[in-house]
Amino acid sequence: MKIKPIITNKIVTKHTSYDVDLDLTQNITFIVGDSGVGKSAVFSFLQELSAEDKRIKCFNYLDQNKGYKTAIKRTTSNGKIFVIDNADILLNDKMRQYIASDSVNQYIIIGRNPSGLLLQQDEIYELANEKKSGRTNFRLKKALE
Amino acid sequence: MIAVYKMKTIPKDMELIKLNDIFFNKYTSEKLDEKAIDIIFKIDQSEMVDKFTIRSRFDGGILNIDKLSTGCKTVLNIMYNKDKIFDIRECGENALDVIYSLDNGNITCDYPLISFEMKKVKAVGKKGTIDINSYDELKEWWSDEN
Repeated sequence: MKIKPIITNKIVTKHTSYDVDLDLTQNITFIVGDSGVGKSAVFSFLQELSAEDKRIKCFNYLDQNKGYKTAIKRTTSNGKIFVIDNADILLNDKMRQYIASDSVNQYIIIGRNPSGLLLQQDEIYELANEKKSGRTNFRLKKALE
Repeated sequence: MIAVYKMKTIPKDMELIKLNDIFFNKYTSEKLDEKAIDIIFKIDQSEMVDKFTIRSRFDGGILNIDKLSTGCKTVLNIMYNKDKIFDIRECGENALDVIYSLDNGNITCDYPLISFEMKKVKAVGKKGTIDINSYDELKEWWSDEN
């Protein structure tokens, strides 16, 4: 289900020698890929960004028992960008259904199994990294490119 | 060869570990030896500097070993804890390839998650244990509710 981004079409941040430059073309950005390519590192950089950008809320396995589902569904959560790592553990079928039909928030989801989110194959992304002048730049590319 | 358990048929006397990051950080990290060096390089392309530190593949910086990927941690959990069963759902293709090449260890997942490079596994289900040596056969066994 292709829906244009509700909150933002770009997230840019820096963390020491790392640059994150994410072009978001869908409301749900699902990021897959090999282990060790930097997915959780990018999550941690976005988590850091969330301290300055109040629209961004981040959840990972450490939040498993901290009511993250309620936090996402809360009406005061409208207008947020939820970044979810370890999605294969955190998101059950019901939650995926909720996210797929959520028309007031945007999502960046890092995981392996995109089922239940009503995504098409060309809506699945991978991380690409490029090293230049001592800096590492992370961006998104379509997984099927 | 590794043993694959269906989630519903995990023996009561075996512990299932779903949160591989936490288990690695608390228990497996202390057990690492030279066997981990190749695994860490193969999956995360990082150099193991000593027991608790790695060199980042991206900028060469020294990092605590807790910064390994979840997939790499899962492989190491399986290798160093042969009395437990590990959920492999967070593993990327590269980690799956290593898991299916291990000499032993125990894995599970809610749905079939199989390396295309698999050779032979021990499949443990309600009907007993069988050896399976093809991707398609393992997928069919894993998808079968019985």
